[in-house]
Amino acid sequence: MSDTVAHAAHHAAAHAHHPAQQHHFDTMPQQKEAAVLGMWVFLLTEILFFGGLFVAYMIYRVWYFDAFAEASRRLSLFWGGLNTAVLIGSSLTMAMAVRGAQTNKRKATVNWLILTMILGTVFLGVKVIEYQDKFANYEVPGPNFNWLAHEQHEAAAGEHPSTALGASVAAAPAEGEHRKLSLTPEQLQRTTQIYFSLYFTMTGLHALHMIIGIGLMSVITWMAWKGRFDGEYYTPVEMSGLYWHFVDIVWIFLFPLLYLVERHQ
Amino acid sequence: MSAEHAHARESHGAGHVSPISLYVTIFLALMVLTAVTVGAAFVNLGQFNFLVAMVIAVFKASLVVWYFMHVKYQSRLTKLTVATGLFFLAILLGLMLVDYGSKGFVPMPPPIDSESVIGGSPAAR
Repeated sequence: MSDTVAHAAHHAAAHAHHPAQQHHFDTMPQQKEAAVLGMWVFLLTEILFFGGLFVAYMIYRVWYFDAFAEASRRLSLFWGGLNTAVLIGSSLTMAMAVRGAQTNKRKATVNWLILTMILGTVFLGVKVIEYQDKFANYEVPGPNFNWLAHEQHEAAAGEHPSTALGASVAAAPAEGEHRKLSLTPEQLQRTTQIYFSLYFTMTGLHALHMIIGIGLMSVITWMAWKGRFDGEYYTPVEMSGLYWHFVDIVWIFLFPLLYLVERHQ
Repeated sequence: MSAEHAHARESHGAGHVSPISLYVTIFLALMVLTAVTVGAAFVNLGQFNFLVAMVIAVFKASLVVWYFMHVKYQSRLTKLTVATGLFFLAILLGLMLVDYGSKGFVPMPPPIDSESVIGGSPAAR
């Protein structure tokens, strides 16, 4: 008891506690390290969470490589590449936001956070465009999936397009013109759905993480605006930064795995 | 006041503040590596296309973890924690693929016989 009092007295004499310091931590750096460690432990669960999907992807990719290669070419390299650049850019702005907080620049922190949220929203907007395209071309797995609808749509300038699979078999020789296919249209119809299932699951889960990240950041931005952070206490900014960079890393792997299966012919 | 300031300094209260030039350099490196990934995908390297794409992706991810996520400046405990995660990811990926590979599933895919899939059940024949 007297120890505690002496301890408190000693502290009061030496320096005032930072208002953000919790009583169970000795120092601010100790508190920050605990937060960083805890955040990383959380991120490890996230790595293994996505890791399961990556394993599923790898096994199906080995099994149905030709289908994956064909289906991957249906994705737009332009939108995928643009989104990669946007997300890497948002990682830079996020790093700058953390730096702003570290160096006691309140306005800069808020502005960088807002810019990060804008870039995140641009990414999601592009994702909406891509998803819409998949829906329009019958490339969403399920009863309406039609692998050949895309070709028919392009080929059918004069003819009336048919979405029936039976009619698509007749159209199959036409597509052999530009590429030799190792799989029949029926096999592609079946196996490319596996690719698109993984595509929607992985990018969908990634997009969900981004939505959560933007939600987190809007709270952090408000806190930064209110002046809750300074050079000694900016843990929430740093933690959302770690989360945001993690989401960026997931995309760094998703982009080549989904968009670049086999682009050369 | 000055004592308090010195205390904060010596205990690295603000953490490591990276120079802006470092962040910009990492950003540019990530952009260039993205371009390299796309470019490499259009060159026929056979089996190595996948390897090249993954090596670049791992390198990009390492840059993000090391510099953007400040792991370079964290304690050894944090570094060890990050390494542990990667170790378990390696177990997840590696042992699963070894398991599938060792049972003759690779590279033989399960049958995708069109008649059994779309036409009707093989038992009907």
